[in-house]
Amino acid sequence: MATKILSVDDSRTIRLIVGKAFKPYDCTMVEASNGEEGLAVAAREKPDLIILDVTMPVMDGVTMLTKLKEDAALKAIPVIMLTAESGRENVLQIARLGVRDYLVKPFKEDQLIEKAGRCVTLVKRAAAPVAPAA
Amino acid sequence: MQPPPDISQYKELARRYGLGSTPESVSRLTALVARQDADVDEIVRVVEKDPGLSARLLRVANPHADNEDEYTVGTVEAALLRNGIGCALLLAMGTPLSLALIKTFQTMLSMKLEAVDTHQLDSLTGPHMRGSIGFVGKVAGHVYLRMSLQSAKTVAAGILGITPEEVGGTDEVSDVIGELSNIMTGNFKSNLCDAGLDCKLQPPKVGLSENYSTPIEPGGGIERLAFRAGEIHVFVEVTANPWNE
Repeated sequence: MATKILSVDDSRTIRLIVGKAFKPYDCTMVEASNGEEGLAVAAREKPDLIILDVTMPVMDGVTMLTKLKEDAALKAIPVIMLTAESGRENVLQIARLGVRDYLVKPFKEDQLIEKAGRCVTLVKRAAAPVAPAA
Repeated sequence: MQPPPDISQYKELARRYGLGSTPESVSRLTALVARQDADVDEIVRVVEKDPGLSARLLRVANPHADNEDEYTVGTVEAALLRNGIGCALLLAMGTPLSLALIKTFQTMLSMKLEAVDTHQLDSLTGPHMRGSIGFVGKVAGHVYLRMSLQSAKTVAAGILGITPEEVGGTDEVSDVIGELSNIMTGNFKSNLCDAGLDCKLQPPKVGLSENYSTPIEPGGGIERLAFRAGEIHVFVEVTANPWNE
């Protein structure tokens, strides 16, 4: 069964890059553009991994993470923070809430895959069969 | 002496997560400026130890000079006395911001962005893409990122892994420029917060603009930075009013 990954970021650009990074793997991507949407999608889709931004409108990533960890049905889902903010207070607060890993923007797709691979099993998609020569 | 528990814990997390760090001189300078009662001599010593910071401070103190031969303010101390300690904060903010922008181009575009003197680049003319992010708290201000529409399209295409022709409308370009602004600003905001200058970022505002004027916060200052990667020219302005509270 495909690994389900939820990308929560208000930037469509980042969601696209995250989706592109997982494209070679047998993954199903789901998206949300803020923490409130992210919680709703997480409850509905029960993803295997959440990639979460910090600064977002409506509900930020720290609030979403707090609520996620308070929810018995969702708290076991591993979360990787993907943010441009690496200030001491931010990192300490997020670590205390129980985040699996932390990746600072700008990032390389390989770095994200490496960190995600420590949380969930990533299986390369089978190569498309080559059509036999006519 | 043992560092406070929070700092030790942070260092351990930073190692585990592979987080980068701000240059020591920039962290020390930010911490000194945040104290408000810092001695000018102390600030001079920190700035003088870093050739990059010294050069930028002298450039800021000689806004009308085209090159070093035309400088009327020639020492770090004279520059600080002339411009005020607040301008040291702009320097401290500009460094992580520049590093983040250069790293973003390198990491996400495989493009070597070079910091250049603003005089070396032709000014933008006509409509251009402008991203801005405000920050509020113990220090308040804005960061502006500007580039031509063509440059913005090239950058958007590079980041999205498509050709410039495949880039959709202005919305797609705007989102990329907004995210670039976010990445730059997030990096320097971390440095400010670590020094005790807590502040929060506002969501980015991006759009086509023909407005070249940059509003400066009352009592604040401005630093202008310029970057080049081939035909792509990027202009950044930071305005800030230190000790906003």
